[in-house]
Amino acid sequence: MRTRSLRKNKNFKYLVLLAIILVLLGIPSYIWTKKNVTTLAGRYNSPMSPVIMIPGSSASANRFDDLVKIVNRKYGEHHSLLKMTVHTNDTITYSGSIRPNDERPFIVVGFENNNDGYSNIKKQAAWFNLAFNKLKQRYRFNNFNAFGHSNGGLVWTYFFENYFDNSSISVNQMLTVGTPYNFEEKNTSNHTQMLNDLIKKRDKIPEDMTYSSIAGTQLYTDDGIVPLGSVDAGKYIYEGHIKHYTLITLTGSKAQHSDMIASDQFINIFHQYIVGNNINNPGHNKTNKKVPNPQQ
Amino acid sequence: MKVQFSNKFEEKLVRLTLKIQRLLIYRIIQRTLLLIFPFALFGSFIKIIQTVVLGKEGFLTDIFPTLNNDFVYRQIDNITNGLYNLSLGWVSVIAIFGAAKYTAKYYHRDDQLAGITGISAYLIVDYSYSKVQPFSFHPAILGMRGLLFAIVLGMFIGWLFKISSRLAPNLIDSKATNGILERTFISLKPIIFSLIISMIFSTLINITYYSEAPGNFINSLATEYTSSNNWAQLTKTLIFSVYTIIMSFFGWSGAYSALGVEKMDILSTVNLNYALQKHTAWNAPNPFTSSTLYHAFATYGGTGCILGLIIAILIVSRDKDFQTVARWAMIPSIFNIGSGVMTGIPVLFNVIFLIPFILAPIANMLMAAVVISLHLMPPSVYPVPIGTPGPLIAFIATNGSWQALGFSVVAIAISTYIYIPFVKMAAKVKILDNLGLEEGDD
Repeated sequence: MRTRSLRKNKNFKYLVLLAIILVLLGIPSYIWTKKNVTTLAGRYNSPMSPVIMIPGSSASANRFDDLVKIVNRKYGEHHSLLKMTVHTNDTITYSGSIRPNDERPFIVVGFENNNDGYSNIKKQAAWFNLAFNKLKQRYRFNNFNAFGHSNGGLVWTYFFENYFDNSSISVNQMLTVGTPYNFEEKNTSNHTQMLNDLIKKRDKIPEDMTYSSIAGTQLYTDDGIVPLGSVDAGKYIYEGHIKHYTLITLTGSKAQHSDMIASDQFINIFHQYIVGNNINNPGHNKTNKKVPNPQQ
Repeated sequence: MKVQFSNKFEEKLVRLTLKIQRLLIYRIIQRTLLLIFPFALFGSFIKIIQTVVLGKEGFLTDIFPTLNNDFVYRQIDNITNGLYNLSLGWVSVIAIFGAAKYTAKYYHRDDQLAGITGISAYLIVDYSYSKVQPFSFHPAILGMRGLLFAIVLGMFIGWLFKISSRLAPNLIDSKATNGILERTFISLKPIIFSLIISMIFSTLINITYYSEAPGNFINSLATEYTSSNNWAQLTKTLIFSVYTIIMSFFGWSGAYSALGVEKMDILSTVNLNYALQKHTAWNAPNPFTSSTLYHAFATYGGTGCILGLIIAILIVSRDKDFQTVARWAMIPSIFNIGSGVMTGIPVLFNVIFLIPFILAPIANMLMAAVVISLHLMPPSVYPVPIGTPGPLIAFIATNGSWQALGFSVVAIAISTYIYIPFVKMAAKVKILDNLGLEEGDD
């Protein structure tokens, strides 16, 4: 009785149509879910992709305060800033905070022991690893951009080669400024111990990364502290291994080693490569197929 | 024609609705909603193409072989972006035009100028003081989310025309140019007032935009606050769902979005990690999160289980308008885009539909919670592509569990069942309303 009255209803065909559409969509999606159990994680899309920054030697976590301020003001964006300092006894202190919903916050990791030298860089990479794991656990992002000023770039490289686990998290872009891969050595054919070590382990560096290295020059040879050849030596580590490696030479009024991050040209490059790369190349914005580490 | 009521409650509700519908404010809202309906419907079809077919994590892109990121793809993407942004994407601008125009018309003021002033005023309020793009607007409140604000502001502008200008001269018999000039000067005062007031609003909005205060607060509560207690979780999910549903009823925005899980909260991530490790969704540590309950069972056809309403209309309603809207809005609703029905029936601001609009999703969620805790169905833990048809969300999110699919069908039946008496009531309201209009006691 009920079904008959329903069948007489001229909307019956619409209901049938509705059911048919759902079944038609349901069958392929069933096959697809069954086939893709292992890549189900691919559908995880982390909203947050922070910019993690490491200052150079003798600089604290406050080193990039002005940089963040300038970027926010110049581009009318509102990135929040979290600063962490790792102490020599492995404890971490925080200042600043990440605003909820901020998809590209800045995170600065500084060290209490911020001295120069290969042995200190090794220690700093280990400390950075502590901070990085804390961040991963707390914010559960699965991709990020890296920025290093001076020795910060060395810490990044050492971290990638010795601590970084590529399977649960990926680095999209890295930008460094005046990173001395060969310390004060001008001649690229004389390798320091550190450069040799870094070259030896280069296979551990994630291959899908894009890296731009900026070298400043005054009077053609150095930025006042780091020789051009030392920055250029980074090619022995990265070139031919990662997706893209670019060396940029920056000159002009603020090309000095420590001033560079206040230069207009640098801020343009910084924003283009590190802050806005999801906006500028929408075509290359692939979904990240990684899930944060479950153990934590 | 006499209308029969089946019980006291129904009669009371119908009478109350009638009373509200006779209010000037409601009349204006209703006409405004009908004005934006065609744009909302068109926009929702475009939105399907955008999110489901072209979207990077869209349903069809994920399930069928991916379209390549080539030239043609990008052109289609751009075209649909344009079409969407200027149909469903700016319904609030159309709404303020309607609200200002109808209000001014009611008071016999210059309705055309009021409507256009409304558009200018709204765009001024929405203008973003951006340093990157010289001419841009905050996109969020141009669309459905700004609807309430647009209607209120529109009525306010119409009212400004009432108090600060005199009656519009009869425009038909003054075809000469000086007639048009006269008309302009009559309305000059309210136009200037409206624009100055919206300028003040605009400045305030742009100052507070930096802090993004209210939305952030709610979002941070919804995503950051986590509890390991299942009951606390359940309560929290229910509260935020009700908040979201009520807010969408008034054309505002809530904590959860109907179009897929935009942001996964931490509990859902924990669930996903569990499932990936153990290769099963059963016994996931957090069974009552927004993705296991709200997104999986409370958003069939968009916020408020609109699909249930559409099926209910197709089954029981004999009202021509309802049926036309239901048929047209059926396809977008499959992909959880409910804007067509929201503005066409309209469901927005409609007292009769407020009850099932809240009740149907809550009933579904509570039942799902019971079924999950009785271990009859695994919780939905895997993320789902955006725009997945509502009834298939639970199925895909449990990695193809037949129990979940079965429960989804039951849940649709229940939400349809909840909507049926209210659809009948809405028809009665319509009949009584039309009778009243004919008798002239409006």
